Amino acid sequence: MRLPFPLIAGLGILVLLLLCALLPGAIAPYDPLAFDYTAMLAAPGRAHLFGTDQFGRDLLSRTIHATRIDLQIALFATIGPLLIGGAIGLLVGWFGGLADTLVGRLIDLVQTFPFLVLVIAIVAVLGPGLENMYVAVAIVGWVFYARLMRGEVLVQKHADYIAAARALGYSQPRLMLRHILPNAIRPVLIYLVTDMALAILLGSSLGYLGLGAQPPTPEWGVLIADGKNFFTTAPWMSLFPGLAIVLTGLGFSLTGDGLADLMDVRR
Amino acid sequence: MNRAGAIVGRIAQIIPTFFLIGVVVFVLARLLPGDAVSAMLGDRATDEAVRRITHQLGLDRSMVAQFLTFIGQAAQGHFGQSLAFRVPVASLISERLPVTLLLTLMATLIAMCMALPLAFVAAMNANRWPDILIRAVFQVGLSSPVFYVGLVLLTVFAAGLRLFPVGGYGEGLPAHLYHLFLPALTLALSFSAVIMRTLRGSILAVLRAEFVDFARAKGLSARVILLRHVLRSAAITTVTLVGLHIGSLLGGAVITESVFAVPGVGRLMVDSIFSRDYPVIQALTLVLAVLVSLTFLATDLLHGWLDPRAGV
Amino acid sequence: MTPTILLNRRATLGGVAALLAFQFGPAPALAATRGGRMVFGRYADSLFLDPVLNDANVDIWVLTNLYDTLLLPTADGQGVQPGLATAYEIADAGRTVLLTLREGVKFSDGTPLTPDDVIFSLDRARDPKAGAWNSLLASIEKVENASGKIAIRLKSPDATIIPALATFNSAILPRRAFEATAGATMEDKAKAFSEKPIGTGPFVMVEWKRGSVMKLKRNPSHWKTAEDGQKLPYLEELEFQIIPDDATRLLKLKAGEIDGTELVPYARVKELQADPTLRMELWPSTRVAYLTMNVRPTLRGAANPLANVKVRQALNHAINKDAVIAVTTLGLGTPMRSFMSSTTPLFSASPLYPYDLAKAKGLLAEAGMAGGFDLTCLTLSGNQDNLNNLTLAQQMWAQIGVRLKIEQVDNATLTARYRAGDFQLRTAAWTNDISDPGQITSYFAYFPNIGSLHSGWQDARVDELYLASQKEIDPAKRAAQYKEIQDTYNAAAPIVYLYETPYPVAFRVKAKGFVQIPLGNNIFEAASIEK
Repeated sequence: MRLPFPLIAGLGILVLLLLCALLPGAIAPYDPLAFDYTAMLAAPGRAHLFGTDQFGRDLLSRTIHATRIDLQIALFATIGPLLIGGAIGLLVGWFGGLADTLVGRLIDLVQTFPFLVLVIAIVAVLGPGLENMYVAVAIVGWVFYARLMRGEVLVQKHADYIAAARALGYSQPRLMLRHILPNAIRPVLIYLVTDMALAILLGSSLGYLGLGAQPPTPEWGVLIADGKNFFTTAPWMSLFPGLAIVLTGLGFSLTGDGLADLMDVRR
Repeated sequence: MNRAGAIVGRIAQIIPTFFLIGVVVFVLARLLPGDAVSAMLGDRATDEAVRRITHQLGLDRSMVAQFLTFIGQAAQGHFGQSLAFRVPVASLISERLPVTLLLTLMATLIAMCMALPLAFVAAMNANRWPDILIRAVFQVGLSSPVFYVGLVLLTVFAAGLRLFPVGGYGEGLPAHLYHLFLPALTLALSFSAVIMRTLRGSILAVLRAEFVDFARAKGLSARVILLRHVLRSAAITTVTLVGLHIGSLLGGAVITESVFAVPGVGRLMVDSIFSRDYPVIQALTLVLAVLVSLTFLATDLLHGWLDPRAGV
Repeated sequence: MTPTILLNRRATLGGVAALLAFQFGPAPALAATRGGRMVFGRYADSLFLDPVLNDANVDIWVLTNLYDTLLLPTADGQGVQPGLATAYEIADAGRTVLLTLREGVKFSDGTPLTPDDVIFSLDRARDPKAGAWNSLLASIEKVENASGKIAIRLKSPDATIIPALATFNSAILPRRAFEATAGATMEDKAKAFSEKPIGTGPFVMVEWKRGSVMKLKRNPSHWKTAEDGQKLPYLEELEFQIIPDDATRLLKLKAGEIDGTELVPYARVKELQADPTLRMELWPSTRVAYLTMNVRPTLRGAANPLANVKVRQALNHAINKDAVIAVTTLGLGTPMRSFMSSTTPLFSASPLYPYDLAKAKGLLAEAGMAGGFDLTCLTLSGNQDNLNNLTLAQQMWAQIGVRLKIEQVDNATLTARYRAGDFQLRTAAWTNDISDPGQITSYFAYFPNIGSLHSGWQDARVDELYLASQKEIDPAKRAAQYKEIQDTYNAAAPIVYLYETPYPVAFRVKAKGFVQIPLGNNIFEAASIEK
C-alpha cells in the first residue's frame, strides 16, 4: 500500500525528533550547559548555527537537548488523561446508570474551571516543576477524553454490529474491549495528537510563569520565555525553539491525521 | 417532557454543582502554600504585624466558620472585600468581566471567520496541496506560544505598521473593539486551528456519507449539497467546540491579557491566586461557573435546534 | 522583572536641578512647558494609597505625588530639606524636635494645613497597632502644638527621627476630612479616604480603575514653586497605565503611546540608549541584590552546611561578581561592597570577597566540606534577573563541588517560607525607605526585629551597637558604630553578596523633569511635556 505524502512527512519529522531525543549528545555540537563568556548573545553563524544566549550557551545544542524533555511532556502530559479519561468514558458510556450521571456532573464541574487557571493553581499547590505539571494536567485533562469516549461509546453501543455480537453471546468485557474500544477510540486518538502539541505549549506557558521545567534544564517553552527580554536584540533566542515546537506539532498532526485517514479507509 | 421543563430541570441540576464548586474552590484556595497576609505584607513585616492583620481579616477563624461566612454571603449574592485591593469583590469583577466577555466573543468570531472557509477548501481538496498548506499554516498557529505570538503581532501590526494600539483597552465601545482586535486575533489563532481541524473532519464525513451519494443520484449539484449539509454540520461543530472550550476561553486568556495589558478576569484570577486573595478567587470561580453553565445550556439548546435528532 | 521584591520608597522636591543638570543636560525648571498630559507605564498597580497602612512599593512609589511630609529627602538621598515644615531645630539635649510649619499651605480640598493635622497624622503613623511602618516613629512620646510650632517629644534621643520625618509614612493628611470619611474603624476610614485622597501633594487623583489606569490632575493649591517663581507642578494631567509585560511596555513607549516607563529590563537598556526618540535614565539607587542564607544548624532535620561561617565565606569567594554583573545587568551594576548600598549614609566600604576559587576551596577544606554538598535556593518564579543570577551561581559553585538546586515559587509561598525560616537560600533585593542606615541594619543584622532576614544569624555585639546607634546623635561616634556593624556582618557573611543597580527608567525625548531618588520615589512635580 502507498502511504499518503502528509503521513510520510509526519513520520519523517517524528523520526528526526526521536533521534534528537535519544542521541542528543551525538548530534549537538556543544554541551548545552557550558558557558562561554567570550560568545555571549552571539548571532547565528558558523560557530553557533542557532546563535547563543546571554550565558554564551549554544542554542542549537540546547534546542536539540530540549527535544527529550519536550517529547516527554507530550507523552506524560497526555498519557495520564488518556488512560484515566478513556477508561472512565468507556465504562460509564457502556454501563450508564447512576455512575454515568455522577461522572457527567463531575465532568461539568471540572470543565467550569478554566483549564490553564486550574493547572496553575494545582502546580502552585504542589510546587513548580514538570512532574507536578503532569499531575495537574491529569487531574484536569481527563474530562476531555472521558467526554469524547463516552459520546462515541454511546453511538457505537447501539450500532448493528454490537447487537449482532450480543446475539452471539459475547461477554461484556469482550464486547467492550474487542468491539467498542477499537471503534470508539478514533476521535480520541485524533484529539490526542492535538493534545500532545497543546501539552508542549502548556509547558511553555508555565515556563513563562516560571512554573514549568526548572533551570538549567533546557526546554523549548522555557527557552522561548528566556529569549523574551532579548526579543529585539537577539531574536534567535526565541525563534529556533519556537520553530522546534511548530515542527513537532506539525509532525504529530500530520501523523495523527494520516493514521486516522488510513483507519477510516480500512473501516 | 417539554423543552421549557427540560431547561428548568437543567438549571435545578446546576445548583448543587455550584455548591460543589464553592466547596472545591474554597478548599483548593486554602491548600495553596503561603497565606494572604504574608503575600500582602511582603518581606518586611514583623510576625506581630502578620498576626494582627490576620486577625483583622478574620483569617484566624476556623475553616468551617470561614466557609459558612463565604457560603452565606455568596447565597445572598455578595462576596465581601478583596484582600489585596481592599475594594468590594463585586466591583472588581463587574469592571473586568465585560472586557473578557467581549474579548472571548471577538476571538470566537474571528476564529470562525478564519476556520470556516478554509476548512471547506481543505476538505474539498483532502490530502492535496491546498489541504496540506492550510493544515500546516493552522498548525503553526496552534503550536506557537501565545506570549510569543502576541509579542510578534504587537511588534509588527502595532509598533511597526501602527495599524493598532499597543495593548490597553481604551474608552468607549469603538475603542474597545479596536484595542481588543490583536489580543482576540492571538486567541483566535489557536482556537481557529481547533475548529478548522474538527470542521474539516466533519465535512469529510458528510462528503463520504451515503446521503450525499443519494442526493447526487437525485441530480443535485455538489455545491448545493455542500451548502445544505456542510453549513449545518459546521454550525453544530462550532457550537459544540465553543461549549467545550468556553471555560478555557473565558478564564484562560491569562497570558494574552497580560501581554496586551487587557484588564480582564483571566489576569485578575491569576493575580488573585498569586496573592492568595481568597474572596476574589472564590467569587470569580463561581461567576465563571455560572457563565460556563449557561453557555453549556445555550449550546445544548442550539444543538437541539440545529440537529433535531439530539434531544436537550 | 515582574513582581520583584524591589521593596519600598518615599518622597522629594524639585530642588534637584544640580543633579539633573549634571546627568541629563539643562535643568527642566528653566524651560519647562506648562500644561499637557504625561502617561507613565507602570508594571503593577498600587493597592492601598494610605501612607500608614500600605505594604508595598507600588504604593510608596507614587504617594509622594499626592501627599507631603514635614521634611523631604534630598535628591541624593543623603539628607533632608524643608517640606511642609520650613525649618527644624533639635532642643532639650536631643529629646525634642521643634518644627516651623509652612504658612499658607492648603490641602487639595481647599482647607488650610494646621498643627492639628500634623499631630493627628503623626499620632496615627506611630500607633503601634497601625501598619507596618510605625517602628520608624517608635521613639516619639508625644506630638504637640508648642505656641505655633510643632513639638515632637521623644522618649530618648533618636538619630533617625529627622530622616523619619521625611519618610512616606509620616505624610500629613487633613484630620477633619479623614475623620468625616465613612467607616466604622480607622482602617475602614483609611480605605475609603484613599479612594479619593486629599493631600498637599502636587497632584490629586481623579479616577482609578484597579489594575488598569490611574488618572491624576494638577493640584492647583500645591505649595511648591518652580525656579521661575510659578507654581508647580507643570503638568495638567498625569496618567499611570498598568502594563505588566516588560516587552509590551517598551513597545508602547517606542510607539509613543506612553511617555515614560519604569523597570526597563537591563537587557533592553543599550537598545533604548541608541534610540534617538528616547532618553534612557539610570537613577542612582539604594538597591542591592543578594542571596539570603539560612545559617541555622539544621534545616528540615538535616545538617545545614551554611551554619559554618567558612562555608559562607567560601561561597562568596566562589562568586565572580563581575561576571554576574556582566550577564544579568549587562554591565549596569556595580559589585556590593557592604550589605548596604554605597548610597546609604554611613556606608563603609571593604573589598568584599574577591573572586578566588583557590581560597574558596581552601575554606571549604577547613570546614571539612571539601567533598562538596547540595544547596537549594528559593526564588520568585518567572523573575529573569534572579534566574540569571542563580544559573550563574549554579555554574560557579559547581567549580568548588557545590551543587545548587533552583526552586521557583510564587510570591506568597516565598514570603511565607521565608518568614517561617523554611529556606536554605533565597534570592532577594532591598531598597531603603529612609535616608539612614538604621532601617536596613535593623532588618539585615539586628536579630530581634525579623531574625536578621529570617536567617537565624545573631551577634550580640551587633545588636548592642545597633541599639546604641539609634540613640547616638554624635555623627562621628555613630559612623564608628556603623563601621563596626558592617565589618562584623560582612565578615560573618550571612548573605551572598551580588550587586548594586540603578533604577532604569525610559522616556520619550519630549517628556522631561522626572526624578527618581535613591529611595525609589517617582517624583513628577517638575515633569513636563515639551512641544
